[in-house]
Amino acid sequence: MPTVIFQLPDGTERKVTAASGTALMQAAVSNGVPGIVAECGGNASCATCHVYVDAAQSESAGPPNDVEDEMLDFTASERRPTSRLSCQLQLSDALDGLVVHVPEEQV
Amino acid sequence: MSPLTTAAPGAPVVDLDLADLRRDPYPAYAELRRTAPLAWVPSVGRHLLTRYEDIVHAEKLPEVFSSREEGSLLLRTVGPNMLREDDPNHRRLRSAAEPPTRPRQVRDLWAASFERTAHELLDRIAGRGEADLIADFAEPLVAANLALVLGLRTASAEDIADWSRAMMAGNSNYADDPDIWLRAERATRAIEGAVAEAAETARREPDGSVISSMIHAAGPVELAEIQNNVKVIIGGGVNEPRDVFGVGAWALLNRPGVLDRVLADPASWKRVFEETARWVSPIGMYPRQLTQEYEIAGVTLPAGSRVALVIASGNRDEAVFERADEFDIDRPHRPHLAFGGGPHFCMGAWVARHEVSAIAWPLVFSRLKGLRLAEGATASDSDSAAGRMDGWVFRGLTSLNVTWQAA
Ligand code: FES
Repeated sequence: MPTVIFQLPDGTERKVTAASGTALMQAAVSNGVPGIVAECGGNASCATCHVYVDAAQSESAGPPNDVEDEMLDFTASERRPTSRLSCQLQLSDALDGLVVHVPEEQV
Repeated sequence: MSPLTTAAPGAPVVDLDLADLRRDPYPAYAELRRTAPLAWVPSVGRHLLTRYEDIVHAEKLPEVFSSREEGSLLLRTVGPNMLREDDPNHRRLRSAAEPPTRPRQVRDLWAASFERTAHELLDRIAGRGEADLIADFAEPLVAANLALVLGLRTASAEDIADWSRAMMAGNSNYADDPDIWLRAERATRAIEGAVAEAAETARREPDGSVISSMIHAAGPVELAEIQNNVKVIIGGGVNEPRDVFGVGAWALLNRPGVLDRVLADPASWKRVFEETARWVSPIGMYPRQLTQEYEIAGVTLPAGSRVALVIASGNRDEAVFERADEFDIDRPHRPHLAFGGGPHFCMGAWVARHEVSAIAWPLVFSRLKGLRLAEGATASDSDSAAGRMDGWVFRGLTSLNVTWQAA
């Protein structure tokens, strides 16, 4: 099972393990990771599950899909090249050890 | 599973008068959050769930707190529709209808027309020096915008507003008034006709509207499904943005210092929008029905129990929002519940945000110089000659009378 590290805006971090195929947002929410709001429950319609993938791993995480790409223009914290919606990012064994940064604001 | 129309064993029973709730539900909600966060309220025929955390919890469990509430007023008013469906059927309809309401489409396809309509409405009243900003501006604006986004080219803003009012009265007809049912039925017939016509046209010439998007969706959508879902969207699509507009304008006109700061920093209209929607949520509550036994807020609810998620109350929960009863655009950003949560997250959120906070408020405050509440207005946030706040299922200002220096 892949492990993900969420780096929070206050400098602390949270380590979460979830089954392959789980959306990163789901892994965060089920483990109570603060700062992943996910108002729309994973349907790419709210832009409140925004994360920055660590630059070194951004490539392996892949680019956002089309709907996601649009929604990323409307996040509360600035969009960066490493921005993803965590509800659209599926965990896999290849992403074991993934590090993501939780932005200051989601709403 | 048939719905249970009685209190769950062990649930506290609290009598609330619907007329009191309409006038001002917030004191009753505060008391419920303190003493009975899940309470059976006989006049509503449902358990009211009033704390923020519990509401969020329920919203995240759609497989337990089902939207398929039997005997729901909304079902009776408009027939089967996506608001009262669960996934996968909800998802099929939602993905067919949603594309025109996504933020990029709002910006690229609709924003220019929204702005033109707002200017036209202001042109009409600018020379008068006085108006009711609800009836003369906000309602016709959001109704015209809605007709456009839906693709109802033959419907006037007035039709849309009338239909909406008739159906909303049905949706909150907890008192079962037969006249209200009759009016709602007339409105839904008229909508069915208008949608059938629009669907015919959109089949030949796709126009990016909701009806067009549903006609050309990858998954099959029946005409009746389009008709019912358009009814639901008209129901909510008028009063929600209209009421956020009204309550927000009202709050600022009562707080000149805050208004000055907002006018100096237009980026803060966005915060005004979110704080207004939190402070007085246009939708106060919506129903759910339990698919299985489940314990929440200290009560074990049997399968079939009916629960109302009172988001208006969650948005005033002191455990989450300090000084929750105050309108404060500087409060720490916390997600409010006004748009609902989970798969049913408000489909109109991006349309409403844009038409109200990027167009309606900035234009009204820049074009109507010296805008103020009409004589007799007091600083009270609930009642004055200038406007009155009303409702608990849906809540907003019934009127907003203002004056300005006519050019
Ligand atoms: S949870 Fe809403 S966009 Fe990801």
